[in-house]
Amino acid sequence: MNLFRSEEHARRWTQFNPASEVGFISLPELAGFFGTETRRHMLDADYLSAWFPKRAAERREYVTRIGRAVPFWLGTPDA
Amino acid sequence: MADTQPQLMDRMFQRIMRGLIDTGRPPHYAELARALGIGVEDGRRLLHAVMAAYPIGWLHPETDYIASFPPLNGLPTQYRITVRGEQKWFAQCGFEATSVTWLFPGESVRIDAPCLDCGDPVTVEMRDGQIVWVDPPGVVGHLNYGFGPSRGRPPYL
Repeated sequence: MNLFRSEEHARRWTQFNPASEVGFISLPELAGFFGTETRRHMLDADYLSAWFPKRAAERREYVTRIGRAVPFWLGTPDA
Repeated sequence: MADTQPQLMDRMFQRIMRGLIDTGRPPHYAELARALGIGVEDGRRLLHAVMAAYPIGWLHPETDYIASFPPLNGLPTQYRITVRGEQKWFAQCGFEATSVTWLFPGESVRIDAPCLDCGDPVTVEMRDGQIVWVDPPGVVGHLNYGFGPSRGRPPYL
Protein backbone atom coordinates (compact mmCIF):
# COMPACT_ATOMS: atom_id res chain seq x y z
CA MET A 1 0.00 0.00 0.00
CA ASN A 2 2.37 2.57 -1.30
CA LEU A 3 2.48 5.93 -3.00
CA PHE A 4 4.52 6.25 -6.20
CA ARG A 5 5.40 9.21 -8.36
CA SER A 6 3.44 7.60 -11.21
CA GLU A 7 2.19 4.22 -12.42
CA GLU A 8 5.37 3.84 -14.45
CA HIS A 9 7.46 4.25 -11.31
CA ALA A 10 5.40 1.57 -9.56
CA ARG A 11 5.88 -0.86 -12.47
CA ARG A 12 9.64 -0.29 -12.35
CA TRP A 13 9.76 -1.03 -8.60
CA THR A 14 11.88 -4.17 -8.13
CA GLN A 15 9.18 -5.72 -5.91
CA PHE A 16 6.26 -4.88 -8.21
CA ASN A 17 3.86 -7.80 -8.31
CA PRO A 18 2.86 -8.45 -11.96
CA ALA A 19 -0.57 -9.55 -10.72
CA SER A 20 -1.15 -6.13 -9.19
CA GLU A 21 -2.04 -4.17 -12.34
CA VAL A 22 -5.50 -3.94 -10.84
CA GLY A 23 -3.97 -2.45 -7.69
CA PHE A 24 -3.62 1.15 -8.90
CA ILE A 25 -5.79 3.87 -7.43
CA SER A 26 -5.76 7.60 -8.09
CA LEU A 27 -4.89 9.86 -5.21
CA PRO A 28 -8.38 11.45 -4.98
CA GLU A 29 -9.98 7.99 -4.93
CA LEU A 30 -7.50 6.85 -2.31
CA ALA A 31 -8.26 9.88 -0.12
CA GLY A 32 -11.94 9.00 -0.47
CA PHE A 33 -11.32 5.35 0.37
CA PHE A 34 -9.48 6.29 3.54
CA GLY A 35 -11.79 9.19 4.29
CA THR A 36 -15.11 7.41 4.56
CA GLU A 37 -17.48 8.15 7.42
CA THR A 38 -15.94 5.88 10.05
CA ARG A 39 -12.50 7.41 9.51
CA ARG A 40 -13.88 10.75 10.55
CA HIS A 41 -14.71 9.38 13.98
CA MET A 42 -11.30 8.01 14.96
CA LEU A 43 -11.12 10.51 17.81
CA ASP A 44 -14.57 9.70 19.16
CA ALA A 45 -14.69 8.08 22.60
CA ASP A 46 -16.63 5.10 21.21
CA TYR A 47 -14.70 4.65 17.96
CA LEU A 48 -13.54 1.10 18.66
CA SER A 49 -16.92 -0.25 19.73
CA ALA A 50 -19.26 1.85 17.60
CA TRP A 51 -17.42 2.92 14.45
CA PHE A 52 -14.62 0.50 13.64
CA PRO A 53 -17.01 -2.47 13.24
CA LYS A 54 -18.75 -0.58 10.41
CA ARG A 55 -15.54 -0.06 8.51
CA ALA A 56 -15.46 -3.29 6.47
CA ALA A 57 -18.92 -2.79 4.97
CA GLU A 58 -18.11 0.82 4.26
CA ARG A 59 -14.93 -0.15 2.42
CA ARG A 60 -16.77 -2.74 0.32
CA GLU A 61 -19.34 -0.13 -0.64
CA TYR A 62 -16.63 2.36 -1.59
CA VAL A 63 -14.57 0.00 -3.78
CA THR A 64 -17.78 -1.04 -5.50
CA ARG A 65 -18.65 2.60 -6.13
CA ILE A 66 -15.25 3.29 -7.75
CA GLY A 67 -15.45 0.18 -9.92
CA ARG A 68 -13.06 -2.09 -8.04
CA ALA A 69 -15.44 -4.72 -6.75
CA VAL A 70 -12.95 -7.53 -7.44
CA PRO A 71 -11.41 -10.03 -4.99
CA PHE A 72 -8.07 -8.17 -5.05
CA TRP A 73 -9.71 -5.11 -3.51
CA LEU A 74 -12.58 -6.74 -1.67
CA GLY A 75 -10.32 -9.09 0.25
CA THR A 76 -12.31 -12.11 -0.82
CA PRO A 77 -10.74 -15.31 -2.19
CA ASP A 78 -9.93 -15.37 -5.90
CA ALA A 79 -12.54 -17.10 -8.00
CA MET B 1 -10.82 -7.94 35.17
CA ALA B 2 -14.11 -6.17 35.86
CA ASP B 3 -15.61 -3.76 33.35
CA THR B 4 -13.34 -4.96 30.56
CA GLN B 5 -15.52 -4.47 27.54
CA PRO B 6 -16.40 -2.43 25.69
CA GLN B 7 -16.10 0.86 27.56
CA LEU B 8 -12.65 0.17 28.97
CA MET B 9 -11.42 -1.01 25.58
CA ASP B 10 -12.70 2.20 24.05
CA ARG B 11 -10.86 4.19 26.69
CA MET B 12 -7.60 2.35 26.07
CA PHE B 13 -7.99 2.74 22.34
CA GLN B 14 -8.31 6.49 22.71
CA ARG B 15 -5.37 6.65 25.13
CA ILE B 16 -3.19 4.92 22.55
CA MET B 17 -4.38 7.10 19.70
CA ARG B 18 -4.05 10.29 21.73
CA GLY B 19 -0.62 9.23 22.92
CA LEU B 20 0.51 8.76 19.35
CA ILE B 21 -0.94 12.09 18.30
CA ASP B 22 0.62 13.96 21.20
CA THR B 23 4.08 12.39 21.18
CA GLY B 24 4.50 10.49 17.91
CA ARG B 25 5.05 7.27 19.88
CA PRO B 26 2.67 4.64 21.19
CA PRO B 27 2.46 4.32 24.98
CA HIS B 28 3.48 1.20 26.91
CA TYR B 29 0.78 -0.92 28.52
CA ALA B 30 2.05 -0.06 32.01
CA GLU B 31 1.53 3.62 31.25
CA LEU B 32 -1.89 2.87 29.83
CA ALA B 33 -2.81 0.85 32.91
CA ARG B 34 -1.90 3.70 35.23
CA ALA B 35 -3.87 6.18 33.14
CA LEU B 36 -6.92 3.92 33.21
CA GLY B 37 -6.66 3.15 36.90
CA ILE B 38 -6.16 -0.59 36.47
CA GLY B 39 -3.35 -2.96 37.41
CA VAL B 40 -0.35 -3.39 35.15
CA GLU B 41 -1.14 -6.99 34.22
CA ASP B 42 -4.77 -6.06 33.58
CA GLY B 43 -3.41 -3.32 31.33
CA ARG B 44 -1.33 -5.82 29.39
CA ARG B 45 -4.31 -8.12 28.89
CA LEU B 46 -6.52 -5.23 27.93
CA LEU B 47 -3.96 -4.12 25.35
CA HIS B 48 -4.09 -7.56 23.74
CA ALA B 49 -7.89 -7.38 23.73
CA VAL B 50 -7.80 -3.96 22.07
CA MET B 51 -5.36 -5.15 19.41
CA ALA B 52 -7.54 -8.20 18.73
CA ALA B 53 -10.50 -5.89 18.24
CA TYR B 54 -8.41 -3.62 15.99
CA PRO B 55 -6.56 -6.16 13.85
CA ILE B 56 -5.35 -3.65 11.30
CA GLY B 57 -2.72 -2.74 13.91
CA TRP B 58 -0.26 -5.11 15.57
CA LEU B 59 2.21 -5.62 18.36
CA HIS B 60 5.86 -6.23 17.58
CA PRO B 61 6.20 -10.05 17.33
CA GLU B 62 6.79 -11.83 20.64
CA THR B 63 6.39 -8.60 22.61
CA ASP B 64 3.72 -6.39 24.15
CA TYR B 65 5.01 -3.32 22.31
CA ILE B 66 2.66 -1.50 19.97
CA ALA B 67 4.35 -1.46 16.57
CA SER B 68 1.47 -0.27 14.43
CA PHE B 69 -1.73 1.50 15.32
CA PRO B 70 -3.13 2.84 12.08
CA PRO B 71 -3.21 5.25 10.61
CA LEU B 72 -0.02 5.97 12.59
CA ASN B 73 2.94 3.69 13.23
CA GLY B 74 5.19 3.31 16.23
CA LEU B 75 7.89 1.74 14.09
CA PRO B 76 9.24 4.27 11.58
CA THR B 77 8.21 3.80 7.96
CA GLN B 78 9.04 5.79 4.84
CA TYR B 79 5.80 7.76 5.28
CA ARG B 80 6.77 10.77 7.35
CA ILE B 81 4.01 13.00 8.62
CA THR B 82 4.47 16.69 9.37
CA VAL B 83 1.98 18.87 11.23
CA ARG B 84 2.58 22.50 12.32
CA GLY B 85 6.10 22.24 10.89
CA GLU B 86 6.93 19.30 13.13
CA GLN B 87 7.78 15.89 11.68
CA LYS B 88 7.35 13.43 14.50
CA TRP B 89 4.84 10.92 13.11
CA PHE B 90 4.95 7.99 10.72
CA ALA B 91 2.02 6.49 8.86
CA GLN B 92 1.53 2.73 8.69
CA CYS B 93 1.61 2.78 4.88
CA GLY B 94 0.97 5.05 1.94
CA PHE B 95 -2.77 4.40 2.01
CA GLU B 96 -3.17 4.99 5.73
CA ALA B 97 -1.11 8.15 5.32
CA THR B 98 -4.08 9.74 3.56
CA SER B 99 -6.20 9.06 6.64
CA VAL B 100 -3.92 10.85 9.11
CA THR B 101 -5.65 14.11 8.18
CA TRP B 102 -8.64 12.98 10.28
CA LEU B 103 -6.48 12.91 13.41
CA PHE B 104 -5.60 16.59 13.06
CA PRO B 105 -8.82 18.48 12.32
CA GLY B 106 -8.29 21.97 10.93
CA GLU B 107 -4.56 21.35 10.48
CA SER B 108 -2.44 20.99 7.40
CA VAL B 109 -0.99 17.47 7.30
CA ARG B 110 1.97 16.81 5.03
CA ILE B 111 3.02 13.35 3.84
CA ASP B 112 6.59 12.95 2.62
CA ALA B 113 7.92 9.69 1.27
CA PRO B 114 10.61 8.50 -1.12
CA CYS B 115 9.33 6.79 -4.24
CA LEU B 116 10.28 3.11 -3.93
CA ASP B 117 11.38 3.05 -7.57
CA CYS B 118 13.70 6.03 -7.78
CA GLY B 119 13.97 7.49 -4.28
CA ASP B 120 12.79 10.89 -5.44
CA PRO B 121 10.28 12.59 -3.16
CA VAL B 122 6.54 12.12 -3.12
CA THR B 123 4.68 14.87 -1.27
CA VAL B 124 1.00 15.15 -0.46
CA GLU B 125 -0.55 17.80 1.71
CA MET B 126 -4.07 17.45 3.09
CA ARG B 127 -6.42 19.40 5.29
CA ASP B 128 -9.65 18.00 6.72
CA GLY B 129 -9.62 15.20 4.17
CA GLN B 130 -9.01 17.42 1.16
CA ILE B 131 -5.87 17.18 -0.96
CA VAL B 132 -4.37 20.66 -1.12
CA TRP B 133 -0.97 19.93 -2.68
CA VAL B 134 0.58 17.05 -4.60
CA ASP B 135 4.09 16.80 -5.96
CA PRO B 136 4.56 15.42 -8.52
CA PRO B 137 1.02 15.75 -9.89
CA GLY B 138 0.94 12.11 -11.09
CA VAL B 139 1.21 10.50 -7.63
CA VAL B 140 -0.77 7.24 -7.45
CA GLY B 141 -1.56 4.65 -4.84
CA HIS B 142 -0.67 1.04 -5.47
CA LEU B 143 -1.79 -2.13 -3.72
CA ASN B 144 0.82 -4.79 -4.46
CA TYR B 145 -0.73 -7.96 -3.04
CA GLY B 146 -4.42 -7.28 -2.63
CA PHE B 147 -6.46 -7.42 0.52
CA GLY B 148 -7.36 -10.65 2.24
CA PRO B 149 -5.34 -13.31 4.03
CA SER B 150 -5.66 -15.75 1.13
CA ARG B 151 -3.03 -13.79 -0.77
CA GLY B 152 -0.44 -14.61 1.83
CA ARG B 153 1.25 -11.26 2.09
CA PRO B 154 0.44 -8.29 4.34
CA PRO B 155 -1.44 -5.74 2.24
CA TYR B 156 0.40 -2.82 3.81
CA LEU B 157 3.61 -3.82 2.00
